[in-house]
Amino acid sequence: MVNEAVLDVVMLVEIALLGLAAGVYFSHGLWLFVTQKRTLEEMTAARGSLARLLTRGTINLEEIEALRRMRRGVQAAAFLEISRTQTGTGKDKLRFVAAEVSLLDRARKLCESRRWTRRLRGARLLAGMDVADPIVEKLFSDPHPAVRAQAAEWAAAHPSPTVITAMLKMLADPATQARFAVQDALLRMGDIIAEPLAAFLETHSGAPAEAGLRVAGALAETRFLPAALRLSAADEAGVRVAAAKLLGGIGSAASAERLTELLKDSDSRVRAAAANGLGRMQHWPAASQLAESLRDSTWHVRRDAALALRAIGAPGTLFLRRALKGDDAFAADMAQQILDLPATATG
Amino acid sequence: MMESLSGLVSEVMVRGQFIVLLYFLGVNGWYLTLLVSSLLEMRRHMLVIANESRYLLLSSTLSPTISILAPAFNEEATIEGSLRALLALQYPRLEVIVISEQRIKTKPVRNLYRSSTYPALVVVDKENGGKADALNVGLSFAGSELVCAMDADTLIEADGLQRMVRPFLYSTDVVATGGTIRVVNGSEVRFGRVIRIRVPTNPLAGIQVVEYLRAFLFGRLGWNRLGGNIIISGAFGLFRRESVLNAGGYLHDTVGEDMELVLRLKRLSYEQPGPGKIAFVPDSVAWTEVPESTRVLGRQRDRWHRGLADVLWRHRSMLFNPRYGVTGLVVLPYYVFVELLAPVVELAGLASLVLGLAFGIVDWSFAALFFLTAYGLGTALTAFTLIIEDLSFHRYDTFRDRAMLFWWALVENLGYRQMTVYWRLRGLWKFLRGRKDWGAMERKGFKPLAAPTARA
Repeated sequence: MVNEAVLDVVMLVEIALLGLAAGVYFSHGLWLFVTQKRTLEEMTAARGSLARLLTRGTINLEEIEALRRMRRGVQAAAFLEISRTQTGTGKDKLRFVAAEVSLLDRARKLCESRRWTRRLRGARLLAGMDVADPIVEKLFSDPHPAVRAQAAEWAAAHPSPTVITAMLKMLADPATQARFAVQDALLRMGDIIAEPLAAFLETHSGAPAEAGLRVAGALAETRFLPAALRLSAADEAGVRVAAAKLLGGIGSAASAERLTELLKDSDSRVRAAAANGLGRMQHWPAASQLAESLRDSTWHVRRDAALALRAIGAPGTLFLRRALKGDDAFAADMAQQILDLPATATG
Repeated sequence: MMESLSGLVSEVMVRGQFIVLLYFLGVNGWYLTLLVSSLLEMRRHMLVIANESRYLLLSSTLSPTISILAPAFNEEATIEGSLRALLALQYPRLEVIVISEQRIKTKPVRNLYRSSTYPALVVVDKENGGKADALNVGLSFAGSELVCAMDADTLIEADGLQRMVRPFLYSTDVVATGGTIRVVNGSEVRFGRVIRIRVPTNPLAGIQVVEYLRAFLFGRLGWNRLGGNIIISGAFGLFRRESVLNAGGYLHDTVGEDMELVLRLKRLSYEQPGPGKIAFVPDSVAWTEVPESTRVLGRQRDRWHRGLADVLWRHRSMLFNPRYGVTGLVVLPYYVFVELLAPVVELAGLASLVLGLAFGIVDWSFAALFFLTAYGLGTALTAFTLIIEDLSFHRYDTFRDRAMLFWWALVENLGYRQMTVYWRLRGLWKFLRGRKDWGAMERKGFKPLAAPTARA
């Protein structure tokens, strides 16, 4: 049998572990109780000082000193909390005080840290405070995607030509997180990016073009049409999908013609996107081709085709009703599902 | 006769002790690895989310669209609160599909309703076909890129989806994400929101709080770092809709449909190109009501274990198969030998101890010491899970709650654990006999439910 002495040792180790766990657990609880109280007091004081600064436009030296003396985490949290609610002169005043209490200097130092979590914190502070500092631009090429994404978030509020060029370059970022932030930043920059993005799409292909097409799809301007038509014939299915979505958004005769061709694409996602685009354009001349797509071998193509027919209106509904009596059970089933949808449903 | 039986028992115990010792070392060694892994993962996660602003997600036209699928059968007590919480979720591009199942046999789908007050709310009225069938119906009505499968009695925190969607933005390889499920019993709920978190005084519910914390903050978080997550709670999970459709949706003939789907998605990612990463997001929280009676709890645990056995049996060809990488070589063996067979080993241990006592092979003091040793490490690990929770989210912030949590962690092994062994063995037995029924769940409802009736 297992030796009793061994069990004694194991038991002692377990009691020690349990005692340690209980000690850490309750001590941490006590520490939290004390620090949370202090944090709350500091936050209340900081909010008061910053609110006075924003409403009266002044802040006295004692208040600045008190803000400077605060623990760094609480100080950063207080400034970021107020900063998110401010724009224009309010934010200028906050930045001035943040510089006075060395918060911005610390953020810059954090941006230069060797540890990515600190660089992330630094970038978050500078982005949250909307500080136009070239140090963040250096983070566009940071090794960690979370830092690059944060830098891109900052870029949305600083759309200089250099930043836009860097953002467009970052559309090829291998990390999804960074790409999402870049696409979002470009969208937030607004019309200013339309021209450079159109030029970018004219000359790029593959994954960067796909990411660019997604941004262009949200803007849906006619100046993207040539690039969208070119990229709708790309080798990569993902690019063709994004191009089809953009064409559906642009909505010209050339788009409709190309989308109708894409209903015969080899990739089901492209066929579905083409059907969706035609529905979005309510392009009734394509109703018969969409009705053909009701017989597609892929479920989501049939669904998007049926939804497109529904979006077209009377001619589309006619085709859906015809499909109910057709020889293709799958087409009939899909037509029935879509015809059964409530009037306000978008699918 | 008695002497020869006693000799036989003694022989079995002497020979079996090494197997038990090896099992004990292997299991606890692995638990320790998971604990360290979960600590590291939590530290990294907390550093990443510190001062994070999610306004990007809230206001971006590029945020993925989400359809929430909420199957509701026998959920009268909690559906109102749950729906209120769903409609108030802070996510910009959201659709809520409630699949209401009726006992009456008419048509698979009887009717569809869209709320005029909340256009994003759709109710599908259908004949009862089980949770998997309801989710599949919901899937076919969903139009979003991501679908959130949940139980209708689950209360998702307002920013739960914003948090849960992050891994999909971070990697195209993510096929599903799961959040933390916490126990709502004892807490105060108003308008579908948990407004005051308390540890329940009911022993069964209190112990389940500790169990859930251990399962999520220790188990799933630990596996997250090791790349071996194969479980997403059916109460709250987010999936790529296209991947789920490609996989064929939920299976009807299993009681472990949530785990089965996740494992199938994982399996498919090895067999054909496509996303296959399962991510756990610890700060995305949903609250659920747990059973407070042994009868209902027993049914639930029996079903869970049957589900586990069924899923592992269905995918047995993945076990020790190098084609399936970490999943086949590490994760599934863990689930078979640690999770599935644990009650069998535990029963064998307890039975041999009782037999040893009966035949005088072991004395009472040794038996007590063995019992305490066997369960002591588990209790210590649970206590460390409480530390992880306290260091990260510290949701239970009063001394009373901390003391009660610790108390429930200590007493879990004195009766409750043995009951779960019995329920899980019953589940295994039923699985071997081919039983696939769910067993009724009874809900008490959230307290207090003070809200006007919604018009849909």
